[in-house]
Amino acid sequence: MNFWVDALSTGVVLGTPLAFAGLGELIAERAGVINLGVEGMMLIGAVVGFAAGIQTGSIFWAMVAGGFAGGLLGLLHAAMTVGLKVNQIVMGLTLTILGTGLSSYIGASYGNEPFKEHLSKIDIPLLSKIPWIGEIFFQQDIMVYIAIVTVIVAALIINRTRQGLALRGVGEAPAAADAAGVPVFAVRYIAVWLGGVFAGIGGAYLSVVYTQSWSNELTAGRGWIAIALVIFASWRPLLLLPGALLFGFIEALNFQLQAKGVSIPSQYLSMMPYVFTLVVLAIVWTRQRGRSGWGMPESLGTAYEREGRS
Amino acid sequence: MKGWRLEKRTAPSLGSRVAQPILAVIAGFVFGAIVLAIGGHDIGDAYKAMWEASFGTGPGFEQVLVRATPLLLCGLAVTVALRMNIWNIGAEGQMAMGAIGATFVAYHTTSLGTLPILVAIFLGGMVAAGLWALIAAIPRALVGLNEIIVTLFLNYIALLFLSALINGPWKDHASIGQAYGRRLPTQAALPLIGDTKVTIGIFIALAAAIAIYWLLDHSRAGFSLQIAGGNVRAAKYLGLGIGRRILFVLFVSGAVAGIAGVIQLTASGGGRLQEGLTGGYGYIGILVAFLARTKVQAVVVVALLYAALLTGGTALQSTGIPSSIAEIIQASIIIFVLIGQALGSYKLVRTAPAKSPPAHPAALGEAS
Repeated sequence: MNFWVDALSTGVVLGTPLAFAGLGELIAERAGVINLGVEGMMLIGAVVGFAAGIQTGSIFWAMVAGGFAGGLLGLLHAAMTVGLKVNQIVMGLTLTILGTGLSSYIGASYGNEPFKEHLSKIDIPLLSKIPWIGEIFFQQDIMVYIAIVTVIVAALIINRTRQGLALRGVGEAPAAADAAGVPVFAVRYIAVWLGGVFAGIGGAYLSVVYTQSWSNELTAGRGWIAIALVIFASWRPLLLLPGALLFGFIEALNFQLQAKGVSIPSQYLSMMPYVFTLVVLAIVWTRQRGRSGWGMPESLGTAYEREGRS
Repeated sequence: MKGWRLEKRTAPSLGSRVAQPILAVIAGFVFGAIVLAIGGHDIGDAYKAMWEASFGTGPGFEQVLVRATPLLLCGLAVTVALRMNIWNIGAEGQMAMGAIGATFVAYHTTSLGTLPILVAIFLGGMVAAGLWALIAAIPRALVGLNEIIVTLFLNYIALLFLSALINGPWKDHASIGQAYGRRLPTQAALPLIGDTKVTIGIFIALAAAIAIYWLLDHSRAGFSLQIAGGNVRAAKYLGLGIGRRILFVLFVSGAVAGIAGVIQLTASGGGRLQEGLTGGYGYIGILVAFLARTKVQAVVVVALLYAALLTGGTALQSTGIPSSIAEIIQASIIIFVLIGQALGSYKLVRTAPAKSPPAHPAALGEAS
């Protein structure tokens, strides 16, 4: 039993950056903008957060700096795709190249420096005493709890508030939202910026809290898994949490099996997030046809142009 | 902005189409220079090293051609699909499947001579990669499932499958450290051109470019693809089977990317399957196709220039200047090209001075 509790508990830790980055991408996509630059934004967040952590010795400021840096790349994506209406796929891939290059460039002098502060685990009273469950979910660091709360709050905002309705409207039918007085461009700018902020925080969590060091391409493809996570969750914020746990658990399981010397080819386990995502996508897609409000936002990937209103 | 307004151009002028990319490249290098200066590196040293490692010397140019080969093929692969408005983000994975298919065939045809074995492994690679692309094409054709997402995630599955093979059934037990697949039979090596380091792969890529140019721009099939991709209604009215064309276009696209994988396997791949064989060319191919505006001739030129940038970048490592600057320059050039393309599609027009401020200031602000 210890083996599984350990794997699940590590899975929660590894799921945390995915939950942050996935939430960011989900917000952007619900506004109709796909950003394939998550990997780049996470890397920038990771390196800037790490540098800030080294300079200030504070994990808090490291997270703020990571979120800020990721947000800047998010704004670049917004300016290009929402403002200039550049193709979102091409710009996202470019953003990944930019983030990879810039993060290596900035991080060149931080390669050998470990980050000494570490985030202590906080036991939630009572809940942490529950057998297994307590150890898995309620003896974690503060960022894990923040991630969970943030996702839940975001889900409430997206599903239950006027602002959330505006966001969904912009993603589903921008022209109609515009006619109803929703500031389509502003909503998209904010959503894509938030996407960068959360990706940056996810990246900073990896470098500052998880590895406590910086190396080139530290995120190792987690940005792409975050994109998969959004689809796995069928663009529903609350489903990000079980998805992040599952994907994090798969990664943790992989580490643990290798440590134990079990000869399952780890590649097949690593494949699972992508396989699950494609299976979920196929199921949701075939079931949602003809129904709206479930699954991929209608206007995802297309720039909004105000035409015929002059 | 009072008294002026932005209007959409119907087509960018020829002058701007030529001048824009040149300006973008200059701007990208200027931006790179600024980043280098901030990092305290010598700009002259960096750019001199990049030039000498690419276009500046014979061996450098050979390296450019070696890198341009898979890049051109991936750019072509994306172009074929893009002409029908299909986004093949999966060239990277299709390259991997091409190399895997070729390896599989090579392991089973060890007794053949050079030409037959090369033909066999290229066909094997193309079929494997084409079928792999069909995994995205079939649901797209049947239920309209978004091919961007499917092709993207198939990349990871293919790359991990390759890794599993070379760490498992195809593992070369003689190699220590990095995992490799067992070596291909020696006659399966792609011949070199003269005494250069360039294989005849570059000719294969150019032949593919000519074939695709003919297919897209001079055949009935290519014309119907554009109609089917541009106007679904017109295509239906004309009785064009869209689903069938999606399958065709993605199979061809995958097969072309597969050729790139086979060439990497038999040339710079050193005749054995290994991780990193696809080298990101599949993703860059998307950028190449887009920057070339899906014109086949332009794909050839852009692939060559991009390959030079990649080659120059790796050469920086030996100078002590971080080679990541090459990625920064790449990205900034693309961003400047995209800005140029976006702005080039608008023009400033003088409006009658008596008029009140523009009717929709927000939209104007966004576009400028």
